[in-house]
Amino acid sequence: MTAEFVLTGATHTYGAGVCALDRIDLTIEAGQHVAIVGANGSGKSTLLKMLDGLVFCDGGEISAFGHALTEDALEEPAFRREFRTRVGFVFQDADVQLFCNTVFDELAFGPLQLALGPSEVRERVAEVAGALRIEKLLDRAPYTLSGGEKKRVAIASVLTMRPRVLLMDEPTNALDPRSQVWLLDVLREWKAAGRTVVIATHDLTAAAESCERMVVLSEEHRVVADGTPDDVLSQRELLLAVNLIHEHEHRHGGTGHTHDHAHGHTHA
Amino acid sequence: MIPALAHIGDSTAVRRGRTRSLARRTADAIGSAISEVLENDRVASLPGLMQGLDPRMKLVSIVLLAVVASFVHSIPMLLALVAATMLLAAASHVSVGSFSRKVWASAGFFGLLLSAPALTAWITPGPVVVTLGPLSITGPGLVVATRLLLRVATGAGFGLLVVWTTRWTDLLRALSAMGLPDLVVATLAMTQKQIVSLLRTVQNMHLARESRMLSSGSARQNRGWVVERMAFVARRSMKTADDVYDAMLARGFSGAMPSLIDLKATGRDGVWLLATVAACTLVLLLDRMVFPL
Repeated sequence: MTAEFVLTGATHTYGAGVCALDRIDLTIEAGQHVAIVGANGSGKSTLLKMLDGLVFCDGGEISAFGHALTEDALEEPAFRREFRTRVGFVFQDADVQLFCNTVFDELAFGPLQLALGPSEVRERVAEVAGALRIEKLLDRAPYTLSGGEKKRVAIASVLTMRPRVLLMDEPTNALDPRSQVWLLDVLREWKAAGRTVVIATHDLTAAAESCERMVVLSEEHRVVADGTPDDVLSQRELLLAVNLIHEHEHRHGGTGHTHDHAHGHTHA
Repeated sequence: MIPALAHIGDSTAVRRGRTRSLARRTADAIGSAISEVLENDRVASLPGLMQGLDPRMKLVSIVLLAVVASFVHSIPMLLALVAATMLLAAASHVSVGSFSRKVWASAGFFGLLLSAPALTAWITPGPVVVTLGPLSITGPGLVVATRLLLRVATGAGFGLLVVWTTRWTDLLRALSAMGLPDLVVATLAMTQKQIVSLLRTVQNMHLARESRMLSSGSARQNRGWVVERMAFVARRSMKTADDVYDAMLARGFSGAMPSLIDLKATGRDGVWLLATVAACTLVLLLDRMVFPL
């Protein structure tokens, strides 16, 4: 396997001195499906943005596809084009990602930025819209769509660029159960197709179902565990310490029960 | 005019609910504005006269009519043009009552503001018709002000017809096809989306406040809360703007906004354009020959 991303001591601090990532060491191999899990505010979204070249290291370094991923490197048109073609980012808030006039324009935005010809752009839009079953939405304005439809369109808008790496921030957030199942099926298809996927989530169920590797971020913004979902989920004390599960007490009849409770309704 | 802006402050809920709390009245007004924005798309999809036209032809013809209206001097001809906007609205399944209210609420108000000084003897000398304290309203002043008011109302009417009978998405496509820079078109598209999104946020804030209030609160408290929330919405909209820009960068944005436009004009559009040119010529001829200055 070849490394798609290598982070060595990567640190990021926001303007007011708020640390978001603290000395992260992480290698993501081609074809891997990796879940970055952690409590709210642990730095998951910042890490994804760093992988997508939207925020940069204050300390340490990050490389993508063997090249240093820096602001200067992305200023270079050839590298920017290659990087943006290879890496797609599905934002947590679909509303943020859908900024075009119509769903069609939304799907065509990426390919047009890649300077593809009109016929190829139309072909890609039709192909992805068919695969994600959103053909009927193509003429609609994104702000008129439901939450589930917006998420599909947001994913489709990235897929038309045919990225080989997909970064997804809280992909199951705000999705109804049917759409969640659909999304997990899509992730399985991408796995079979050999695409690299990195998702940031605090939904342990979705993470365990869709990824073969789980990286845990602590509330101190550091990597505290990295292994298979089975390995990570068996470390009860660790999950309690990083605020991914909590003890939940309730009663059945006259008997009290205590469960470990996680987001995504997993009972350990 | 961005459709979302066209509906803000046009809520019957506000007029109906004078005894209700500020939070409830504002939330209802915003809810009504959002519904009307979505209703706009429904009206634009009806099989009416103007909905069936190519948006580019519609834009060209309406701009032509609005320009001609600004050259017309006679009040009867201007009244005929105002009537024409209403006829076109009716032929396009747009409620004439609601259309007229919207035109006169906005254009009427601003037209009156603009034309008010012209009513007075200071700006337009002539025989005095009415004296209001130090102000003397003259006959020629009344004619000038009425002409200005009718011109504004005619222009606003034609403009509103385009907005109401064209889906916002098609209107932007037409503007793009007619040479408006893609970046400007994209900004307009984002503005419409952001207004709807922020309206939803503000509506939820007002409802959340009402759900926790036991009384409607004093006017001072309400004003303070509204100001504080306005600051919050401004901060949030700036944060959203940053996020949207990140999302654009993530999909390869490098400063240009190319788009694919797929609009086709038909014979019907040609007939419409010819009829518009003929109507404009006729209006100008009648204005000059039948109602000379």
